[in-house]
Amino acid sequence: MKKQVIPAIVMLTLSLVIVIGSQTFLSPCVHEDGSSGPCHWAGQALMGLGCALGVLAAIALCVKRARPGVYLSGLPVCALGILTPGTLIDLCRMSTMRCRMVMRPAMILLFSAALLCALAGAVLTARQKS
Amino acid sequence: MKKFSLPLKNLTRKPGRTSILALLTAFLAFAVFAGSAVVLSLRSGLSSLEARLGADVILVPSEAQSKVSFQNMFLQGTTGAFYMDASALDKALEVEGVEKAAPQTFLASLKADCCSIKIQVIGIDPEKDFTVQPWIARSLTRELGDMDVAVGCKVEADVGEIIRIYEQRCKVVARLEATGTGLDTAVYCNMDTMNALLSAAEEKGVSHKISSGDRVISAVYVKVKDGYDIDAVASRLNGHIRKVTAVRTRSMITGVSDSLAGVSRTVTVLIAAVWALAFIILLLAFALIVRERAREYAVLRLVGASRGMLGRMVLLESALCGLLGGVIGVGAAALLLFPFAQLIESALKLPYLMPDTARMLLLAAGTVLLSVAVAALSSLIAAYRLSRVDPGTALREGN
Repeated sequence: MKKQVIPAIVMLTLSLVIVIGSQTFLSPCVHEDGSSGPCHWAGQALMGLGCALGVLAAIALCVKRARPGVYLSGLPVCALGILTPGTLIDLCRMSTMRCRMVMRPAMILLFSAALLCALAGAVLTARQKS
Repeated sequence: MKKFSLPLKNLTRKPGRTSILALLTAFLAFAVFAGSAVVLSLRSGLSSLEARLGADVILVPSEAQSKVSFQNMFLQGTTGAFYMDASALDKALEVEGVEKAAPQTFLASLKADCCSIKIQVIGIDPEKDFTVQPWIARSLTRELGDMDVAVGCKVEADVGEIIRIYEQRCKVVARLEATGTGLDTAVYCNMDTMNALLSAAEEKGVSHKISSGDRVISAVYVKVKDGYDIDAVASRLNGHIRKVTAVRTRSMITGVSDSLAGVSRTVTVLIAAVWALAFIILLLAFALIVRERAREYAVLRLVGASRGMLGRMVLLESALCGLLGGVIGVGAAALLLFPFAQLIESALKLPYLMPDTARMLLLAAGTVLLSVAVAALSSLIAAYRLSRVDPGTALREGN
């Protein structure tokens, strides 16, 4: 297996965890009355970004020629994923709430790992070309 | 640097072997760093709780003797409100042995008010208070004004922001330092603000009225004079004031302290078990590696390497593996401990306050050093046996 494919596989796995997690085990707060707070929209945005990351990873896996560009375009997606919970979209106002306690740190870690993968992929493909 | 070049080459040329050894030590470092950090955080939390309680006895209405829920208010920040006549304060001051007493009034906000969940609002008398006021004074140099609130560090509101409690606009004037207790999730105001909030709550249908009158408080914090027996004063308070229960703060802390001792014991046993297991595995791994590489060492001896040089090389290789593993283990533990500190606190249901950065850095450095030492120690026997092997025999055995 070529080294350049490994970051794409890891990115794809991470994106799956992000998409599934944002709706299940890493989901934002669930209010008893069924209403949705701002953290709900942060969760939806994270799911969207996870999907985008997954598509990019799939392209990097399948289309060899597109790899360098795809890895580079993964960087802003991951940066957005890191900034979305709490910075770009508000979360609930208590640190003890699920969105701040679980969703935010987990998503920041997952998107940071994906960012490192995208960087590694970009470096590996650039090395291969040179 | 030259003496590191051969061990470094040996490690980089065999990435699989190096990774397994590093992973083993990483496992060790993870267990030590994470376990020690959790125990240290729990100890800091307990000290912080002791400092914040400040009083020797707390007087609460008898119906609130649900001491468990009272304890939960401090430990987990669960909301609760109970009221008694404000005259309990004056009556407490009449009791022999009471040095000072300060009232507090509790009110739980509505869910929709500011934070999607209920928060505890605590009214204090800044002039009399000796428990919360010193803590507030560290973040706010002036007294709390009317409709001013100081928020615990877990309430995500900035200074200058307006939060609504029962439709009343309250200005955040300070964010308080972390205590690792339930007090971090509360909002603090003076008694005038609290009275305004109680009236607003009344309009919303949240009743706090009691039969004896309108001036209500929730608790009286009592400091006992030096030389007086706290239990005796608590009994006198119970006898002197009707429908009130005196709770010794020590009894609350003892419960927490017992739980902490239990957690500490479990963590220590787990760390010891992990260390013993990993040490034995490392010992075996190095013994096997040295045997497997017997011919390689024999060739090195034949080209002029002394026994001491070979021994040092094995020790250096294992120490470098320990260093790598130590850094990975501490890094992985930090990635879980710091971002998920709140989750750990909620799961433990005990006061949890992370030590300061300097102490954590010291702990991290200590853990890495320990990993290096253990890795080097476990290869010591292998290095000694290696220095005893005759190169000729080793080469013949290899054939």
